[in-house]
Amino acid sequence: MSIRTFTAPDPETLVNGAQPPKKRRQLRRAGESYGFLAPTLILLLVLMIVPIVMVVGYSFQDNVILKSSSEFTGIANYVTVLTDPGFWKATGNTLYFCLISVAAHLVLGLTFAMLLNSRLISAPSRAFFRALYVLPWLFTAAVIAVLWRMLLSPNGIVNFLLDTDVEWLASPQLALGTVTFINIWAGYPFFMVSLLAGLQGIPQDLHEAASIDGASPVQRFWNVTIPQLRPIIVSLLLLDLIWTSQQFALIWLTTGGGPIDVTEMLSTYTYKLAFANYDFSLAATSAVLVLLLSMVLAVLYVRHQKARD
Amino acid sequence: MALTTQGRTRLARSGVLAGLILGAVFAAGPVLWMLSSSFKSNTEIFELPPRLITGSFSFDAYTAILTDSETLRFFFNSYLVAGAVTILTLLVAIHAAYAFSRFEFRGKRVLNVVIISVQAVPPITLLIPYFGLVVGLGLYNTYPGLILTYMVFTLPYAIIMMTGYLNTLPRELDEAVRVDGAGSLTALWRVLVPISVPGIVSVGIYTFMIAWNEYLFALTLTRTTEMRTVPIGIQLLMGQHSYEWNQIMAMSILGSIPVLILFLVLQRYFISGLTAGSVKS
Amino acid sequence: MSTHRRMRNRVTLFTGIATTAVSIVALTGCGSGGSSGAEEAGGDVTIEFAQWWEPELPDGEFRALIDTFEEANPEITVDLVSGPYASTKEQLFAGAASGTMPDVVGLDGAWVSDFAEQGVIADLTPLLDEAGFDDSQLVSQVKVEDKTYMVPVVNFVYPMFTNDDLLSQAGVAAPPETRTEFADAAGKVSDLDGDASGWVLPLSLEAPNGVQNDVMSWAWASGGTMLKDGRPDLTNEDVTSAVDFIGGLWDDGVIAPGSFTMKEQDKVEEFTNGRVGMMIDSLAHINLIRETNPDLNFSISAVPAADDYSGERGIPYASWGIGVAENSEHKDAAAKLVSFLMSEETNSELSTMANAFPGNTESVPAFVEDDDLFKKAFDIYQAGYPANEFVGLPVAEELMRQLGAQLQSALDGQQSLSEALEKAQTEWEGEF
Repeated sequence: MSIRTFTAPDPETLVNGAQPPKKRRQLRRAGESYGFLAPTLILLLVLMIVPIVMVVGYSFQDNVILKSSSEFTGIANYVTVLTDPGFWKATGNTLYFCLISVAAHLVLGLTFAMLLNSRLISAPSRAFFRALYVLPWLFTAAVIAVLWRMLLSPNGIVNFLLDTDVEWLASPQLALGTVTFINIWAGYPFFMVSLLAGLQGIPQDLHEAASIDGASPVQRFWNVTIPQLRPIIVSLLLLDLIWTSQQFALIWLTTGGGPIDVTEMLSTYTYKLAFANYDFSLAATSAVLVLLLSMVLAVLYVRHQKARD
Repeated sequence: MALTTQGRTRLARSGVLAGLILGAVFAAGPVLWMLSSSFKSNTEIFELPPRLITGSFSFDAYTAILTDSETLRFFFNSYLVAGAVTILTLLVAIHAAYAFSRFEFRGKRVLNVVIISVQAVPPITLLIPYFGLVVGLGLYNTYPGLILTYMVFTLPYAIIMMTGYLNTLPRELDEAVRVDGAGSLTALWRVLVPISVPGIVSVGIYTFMIAWNEYLFALTLTRTTEMRTVPIGIQLLMGQHSYEWNQIMAMSILGSIPVLILFLVLQRYFISGLTAGSVKS
Repeated sequence: MSTHRRMRNRVTLFTGIATTAVSIVALTGCGSGGSSGAEEAGGDVTIEFAQWWEPELPDGEFRALIDTFEEANPEITVDLVSGPYASTKEQLFAGAASGTMPDVVGLDGAWVSDFAEQGVIADLTPLLDEAGFDDSQLVSQVKVEDKTYMVPVVNFVYPMFTNDDLLSQAGVAAPPETRTEFADAAGKVSDLDGDASGWVLPLSLEAPNGVQNDVMSWAWASGGTMLKDGRPDLTNEDVTSAVDFIGGLWDDGVIAPGSFTMKEQDKVEEFTNGRVGMMIDSLAHINLIRETNPDLNFSISAVPAADDYSGERGIPYASWGIGVAENSEHKDAAAKLVSFLMSEETNSELSTMANAFPGNTESVPAFVEDDDLFKKAFDIYQAGYPANEFVGLPVAEELMRQLGAQLQSALDGQQSLSEALEKAQTEWEGEF
């Protein structure tokens, strides 16, 4: 791939190149970008927006899906959900679960990525550790759940090694912390691998220049590494917040939202509405509320992107 | 008092190594236990005190899985679907990310918000309308049905991440090529894609993992045993009354090995990504 | 140059759209080719039978049974749709919602009311009539508003299992028959050196059937009920005394740790590994326990009753039930399949395979004759009556979950047991 050929700008064009009027140029480029976006847009419109619009529709009716006699009920479902203490309990738990998980994912992911990127360690050892570190990534949520249930059971290996008999998952005091820990274990490789790829993109000479200027490794980290990784970190945080907020299988299969309601999340709450109470209207309502929350996040993200440009 | 440079390097190296080993225990310890369980009989998995290797060490669980043609079919389906999803997602997402990263157009912000937030709808609530849609399109119990479904779930992620990676690359790179007379597509494929390989690989691996591990839609959108995927096969081992613990573990490990190999093969791209000179201009 | 560019841009736009359109058409095209039509030439029909039984039974045995049905009815082909038990309900709902519910469906008693209320499963009585099946042979029929929607094909009863070695080590000569004896035995086992507990109580909220099998069974075993005129009555004497009894065991510390997230499968692991003295469990597990731990000495007996109770004991059960989809185009063929599975001979075979009791009164599974434990169980079964008041109740699983959460909260010391029952009573009333 002859990058060099392309990277060398032609000064002639740069200076004299026909610069079309700004507006027309934008229009033209707009047409082009729609072309690039067309496959995405069509796919998302048909297979994502349509079902979502249907779900939004359900949230304004009652007796949807299985009964034929559904009626428009305005915001009644929203009132029901928003006045249910269970919903707020689930929201609180979800916030705790998400914020701790995401923060830990970032710290662990970045730490591991930096360690794995360290030039102090030989390449084969790095490759070996990289393989070990991605392991939690390779398993489906159901397996992660049964594995940790096994490890953390009162008679399990963890209690054996710690010489305790703690009910990690069954104790109302510990359960939320425990499922959060499991989620941290299961999710950090996403950050690690993405950041590892990002670290490769930081030009080595930026570090060298900083070193020559007398920057300590810590200063280089905060002044070179972090700013360079920022776009990726922001994307990662946003995605992880959204994904963690809808983590279902892991919670459902470890605690089922219990003991009592200490690990009830918005996802398990919604699931129970849909498949235990068969109230799809309320489930849809709860889903729409989650969607609205994430739209706030998304708007903030886009603002951030624009500010950065 | 002052350490020699060599001494400091050695100290730093021990620190890094210690950190790596500590992290490895955290990351791989549980998986080691899983591996050990897959060689045990179902009672030994729960015996006290726990042992890593037991008297009845055997490959029975693996034999049971590898000799079952139904299960092998699950593996085939999973690879086919996850592979197709990965390639198609990357192709589509790279173009979309390019548009988001390099162009200004009407509706960009709205589209961005939509693409990000659609992921937030709990899939479980989409299940019912989605199922109806897939049946209506004639995609029920087909590979394309599963592939398109997973693309819908992986695309937003892939686009956001690819946009992030492209944003870390200086605009001068592709601007220069375009001004040079080459088209946008050329600029993308000749310049940006080659130097984004680490990002593409990491997005690709993650896309593969999402498609590989998905359970709920795989179960709902397929009907016959010939169309089922590995996560469903694993769930089938968790019966109404009892679990086949060792087979669950063995099947998970068998499923993860090829992915691990794929990762090992592809990880050289993390190292040989960009060199300093090609980015600075 | 600018025209040139504009051209190219337009080309990009069109190429993008065209590529997508073509690929979607191509994908859907080969998609529709793949789906099989229900109708086949020559009046032959294919019916779908969705259940979770096939993977639970020894490899190939269920298919072989269905093959004999196809041989006897060459015009009918049966497509077995098998999935994991844990997700069967969601599957059926997704199918019901989009009008693609399989013709014949495996059902759990806890789902029947909800499916029936939504009109997605059919009244079986006229169908079986037409198929010439005499429904007086059926052990039970699950009715909602006087219409039969589910027939239990086989029943798994839940007696008490005792680890005889642990019991005799603890100085308990025979399995307890009353609650006092049980509490005493459980205490003695827990006091033994080692980590064994007296009893095991799975209260997971994910699979809340522990509330049915391990909690309410105590009330039923003493002839009690949790309903009054078909409505919840959780604060009555029967339920209160059963729950208080369990609360006493909890306070005595004789229940194995981990209750609040424990499921039926975990309960069996604990017992199989000799870590609990007693459990209430499905007969379906006898062979599993024998296979995984051949050295374990265990026996089964009736669930202990209140000390002063001498009447017939209710014995909890779970069923593999069967129903027919309302939107099935081949209800007659579906009914034939149901009749086949319920016939004396097939039903005997199926219950033998599943280690369960038959749904046909005349069927006798082979194991009853050649296995002492099963014979004993059959005696218990016949001496008492099958009791499961959750069957046919609306949102039955959610009822279990609500009561389970209240009990957890009480056992955790956040409220009293009577408060738990009162709150659960209020929640239940809201669901009826």
